[in-house]
Amino acid sequence: MPFHRQPILIPAIVIGIYMIYACGPLLWLVLSSLKDRQELFSWPPSLFFTPDLSGYRMVFGIGEAAETATALGLTDALINSVVISVSGTVLAVAFGTLAGYACSRFAFPGRDDFMFFALSTRMIPPVAVLVFYHVMFSRLGLSDTRTGLILVVTFINLGLATWIMKGFFDGVPEEIENIALVNGYTRLYAFWNLVLPMVRGGIAATAGFCFIFAWNEFAFSTILATTQAKTLPVKISSATGATGIEWAQICAAGVVLVIPVAIFFWLIRKYLLMGMTFGVLGRSRT
Amino acid sequence: MRQAIPAGRTAAHAVPRAISDRTICGLFMAPALAILLLMVAYPFISLLYYSTLNFSILNPAKGSEFIGLQNYTRLLSRESVWERFVFTGQFVLATVVVQFCVGVAVAYAFQRNFKGRDLLFTIAMLPMMLCPIVVGFLWRYMFNSEWGVVNYLVTLLGFGKIDWLGVPGNALWAVVIADAWMWTPFVILLATAAFRGIPTDINEAAEIDGASPFFRFTRVTLPMSMPILLIAFLLRLIDAFKQSDLFFAMTGGGPGSDTETVAFRLGKIAFSHFYTGQASAFAVIMLVIIIGLSLIFVRLLTQQGRQD
Repeated sequence: MPFHRQPILIPAIVIGIYMIYACGPLLWLVLSSLKDRQELFSWPPSLFFTPDLSGYRMVFGIGEAAETATALGLTDALINSVVISVSGTVLAVAFGTLAGYACSRFAFPGRDDFMFFALSTRMIPPVAVLVFYHVMFSRLGLSDTRTGLILVVTFINLGLATWIMKGFFDGVPEEIENIALVNGYTRLYAFWNLVLPMVRGGIAATAGFCFIFAWNEFAFSTILATTQAKTLPVKISSATGATGIEWAQICAAGVVLVIPVAIFFWLIRKYLLMGMTFGVLGRSRT
Repeated sequence: MRQAIPAGRTAAHAVPRAISDRTICGLFMAPALAILLLMVAYPFISLLYYSTLNFSILNPAKGSEFIGLQNYTRLLSRESVWERFVFTGQFVLATVVVQFCVGVAVAYAFQRNFKGRDLLFTIAMLPMMLCPIVVGFLWRYMFNSEWGVVNYLVTLLGFGKIDWLGVPGNALWAVVIADAWMWTPFVILLATAAFRGIPTDINEAAEIDGASPFFRFTRVTLPMSMPILLIAFLLRLIDAFKQSDLFFAMTGGGPGSDTETVAFRLGKIAFSHFYTGQASAFAVIMLVIIIGLSLIFVRLLTQQGRQD
């Protein structure tokens, strides 16, 4: 094991300092979400105080807090967010898997151009194309609908999904399909029953990434979802009322928002690292 | 005689109507290609077309007037636009350098095996998973000059309170700290993946040969993980160039318009002033820069691939 004889001191210091930087604001997010109005603005800022749940009550629109003008009442937005990001993730992963397989196994003309094109869709600044999505959506009757946002979320993740999945398929030896074909199975059978089960980890990793981006998508949604289809991040950004910004509520919403992503990430943590390596190794091999 | 026919042959005859690879390839590519083309081609053609018009989406009745490249020349001759490019450049440079130095160092430290590493690693990844808008508001709250916790720490160190978000120079660094906080985990993730991809025997061989840890890092680990690090660098560079959520939440582009990035200004032209024609031209300029940057990196990557 190559790293055994190195002193542990320096890595420990590096990780320690970094964890303070990473965790400090996270701690502050959780603390602030539990503070009442007085504690929020106290000087010096307090570490110990009696927790107050009104931020969370405002987020979910429970009890008296729901009557406040600036209370978000995020239930509708929560449903929107779940429906849009789950459907968008499923579609992006499904289509990305199919395209990734085709790009990995078949040398069709224009394949490399397609791969660059797929990657370049991630580079487009949302504001640059938003005006035209706006026009296009109103013509197609998709303005302010979940369907429209599902389309957008699928689109922003599709390139990434194709790339990561191609990398995983590159890691599966082509002999597997060849043997299956020789033995009289169809390619579709080999794809579905032999190759797909081998890249389950890759599918999980891809879904993880797509879900993070879908769940937090703000730039497109804030313009395209005006009332009906508002997602959580869009709702949160509007938590700036006449009385100023509702800090506790924003922080509470942040905590609520990050929980599903963090659980998901923890479950697929092994595959995430694999996904990134495979993606690049696959690329340099072509 | 019959037995002598290879198994594959008989099988192929047995399933004469098996779908050909060509068809499968087409079917598999179709959905992805359709969505990407729909979502890219239409806006791009419109973008190029509208960038030559004097047109506002708010006032379609007024009609549009073809003005050639005037939208471009007007934009590029305005000093305030160039200032936005300079500011964005400073921001991108600062934040990407900070993320990279910190991210690569931390990822290297995480190569050591210790108890609870997975848990620490996952916690270190958390900032990346937060909603960007929440991150912006959180840091704005912490950077508040009157009662923010950052200034509390500053006063503990014996300095006076700093006006973080009200002075352009400070605001730049405040947003860099927030952006680096959020996206260093991404660099750590990719760098870790890169380091794990290096065969352990190479490092062992170097160690047996008496190479110092520093030598092994700069001469073995870094060069071997270059392809992934380059991709991470490209993705972070482009994302930083596009950054506008954090500025929107933290400074609102202020004071004045001193902390507006290019993307932020584009959003303002398109959705506050509704100069659709001019916004299209601005978007085209931005896209040219981004595509140029990525072409350079793709070239670097393929070169790297060949060297391996």
